[in-house]
Amino acid sequence: MPADTLTQNDRLQQHQARWWQVVVRELSVFGRNSFGSIVSVEFLTVVVPVLILWEALPRLGVVPQTLVPTPSTVALTFWDMLHNIRLSEHLIGSALRFAIGFIVAVATAFPIGVLMGWNLFIRKHCLPVFQILAPIPPPAWVPITIIIFGVGMPMQVFLIFLGVFYPVLFNTYQGIKETDPRYLASARVFGASEFTLITRIYIWHALGSVIMGVKIGIALGLVMLVIAEMYGGRTGIGYLLLEAKEYFQIDRMVVCMLMLGFIGWFLIEVMKYIELKLAVWRIGR
Amino acid sequence: MIEARRISKFFSVINEDRSAEGFTVLNSVSLSIESGSFVSLLGPTGCGKSTFLEILAGLQAPSDGEVWIDGNLVLEPLPSTRKEMEEYKRKYRFLSPIANSLFRDNPKHDIAMIFQDYAVFPWMTVRQNVHFTLKLRGVAKADRPDLAARYLRMVGLVGSENKYPSQLSGGMRQRLALARALSVEPKIILMDEPFAAVDALTRERLQEDLLHLWRETKKTIVLVTHDVDEAVYLSDEVVVFSPLPGSIRNKVSVDIPRPRRRSSVEIREIKERLLAMYRFDTVHEADYII
Ligand SMILES: Nc1ncnc2c1ncn2[C@@H]1O[C@H](COP(=O)(O)OP(=O)(O)OP(=O)(O)O)[C@@H](O)[C@H]1O
Ligand SMILES: [Mg+2]
Repeated sequence: MPADTLTQNDRLQQHQARWWQVVVRELSVFGRNSFGSIVSVEFLTVVVPVLILWEALPRLGVVPQTLVPTPSTVALTFWDMLHNIRLSEHLIGSALRFAIGFIVAVATAFPIGVLMGWNLFIRKHCLPVFQILAPIPPPAWVPITIIIFGVGMPMQVFLIFLGVFYPVLFNTYQGIKETDPRYLASARVFGASEFTLITRIYIWHALGSVIMGVKIGIALGLVMLVIAEMYGGRTGIGYLLLEAKEYFQIDRMVVCMLMLGFIGWFLIEVMKYIELKLAVWRIGR
Repeated sequence: MIEARRISKFFSVINEDRSAEGFTVLNSVSLSIESGSFVSLLGPTGCGKSTFLEILAGLQAPSDGEVWIDGNLVLEPLPSTRKEMEEYKRKYRFLSPIANSLFRDNPKHDIAMIFQDYAVFPWMTVRQNVHFTLKLRGVAKADRPDLAARYLRMVGLVGSENKYPSQLSGGMRQRLALARALSVEPKIILMDEPFAAVDALTRERLQEDLLHLWRETKKTIVLVTHDVDEAVYLSDEVVVFSPLPGSIRNKVSVDIPRPRRRSSVEIREIKERLLAMYRFDTVHEADYII
């Protein structure tokens, strides 16, 4: 009897992991995959000498110290900015802008891309418009956006939206359009409706290219974030960068740049994690 | 009853000098297949057997001719005149003619097909693949696991249900395609070399299972194969295609009572006849090209 109940308990525990257990497990997977590459021995053998050189060269006077802040100065400046100019508020502002622009862009570009890839009728009507608008470099939109939206949040969000929209749109479209007709045929014989084809075949086949588009979108979105914040508003990393230029605070600039680099890296890692979770079938190939 | 009436298929191919040229793959193929019969299509490689099968299933529109299944037209043929072409284009400007309805999963005909390259979905596990096709056929959710398990057992894929196709061997993928097609229990099964990638013993077992299934449920089976033995052993009628452009070279009915023995004299005789036909075709290939 006791053995029996024990196995049953075991089974229960295996099958119904609490939600927080799942969260912890997934977080640790994410952490291993992302930060794992940073603390790996291979990477450290490169980064430690670089840091030492970076610290040593300005101190030894090989390069002028006024132009190249050492890592230790950068770290101190970061600490200082965190406490004295409320860096976190600037960061939250930037994050909010980026999140809104990014989400709106993906939420519009993805469905449009899917529809254009799926249907020739829709493609013929919409694609030329986007093909003409897309080559306009997003920064070229800044003046007109400022005139229409004024300086502030809507203008910034719109600029970020522009950066993210086209890469997601075109990569989704391309991926959907190139769906292997064999798969479509085999689903059609069994009676799949067009809607089922989209949700069960097209989107999965295009997944890799959609995620690729989102990654490019993240990179371009960050570019537009900095540009948007430099042109308007009094918060955000871009604003801090511009302000640091006014006062010739190179150490602050370096902090801002490193933070941008970190944010970009982090978001890409998130996308990799999502890809890992969605494209399980590619593992072990 | 499947009736193919004077099916022709042309593809346009681009020449080296960028000019387009018509290329005949099927030349006026007429074939009627009684309900409940087992018909094999035999022919040299590249003669248009797969194309013919896809036309039967309504996945490609014939350039000329019609396919009727139980009195229903499968696909209307491609237009030939410019005026018809414009009308055709207008009619199908939004959805292609081979598409099913927009939102409702509903097969046009009670057909299942096994593709030469399997076309199992790589993003679904073995079980999900079978469940998905069952769902498309409107099988109730409660019945799906049983059906799936039965047919996966039949093809010997027990224990691999949670693997993805990329983790399967070629033969296993082919058996998955077989299970997927059989599990929906269609009236008509079109098979494009379904046993090509499995070993000889498994092939024999699967053939027996297929025969058993066919006898019990009286399905119509159309089997494309390169294996003359297989064609003669399994089918009521063997249809031999000529080399390109594919047309029906000959029909040989196999009137050997079932159950048959694989090594019986009658089977060997028919096989010899078929092989002789093949040989003749290869030797006199020039005659056909003219
Ligand atoms: N989309 C296409 N465009 C141009 N030619 C095609 C197309 N599809 C098939 N063909 C040609 O049609 C011919 C017949 O192809 P099909 O796949 O039907 O041959 P098959 O009889 O099934 O051959 P196998 O026995 O090797 O499978 C081939 O010569 C091929 O080159
Ligand atoms: Mg073929």
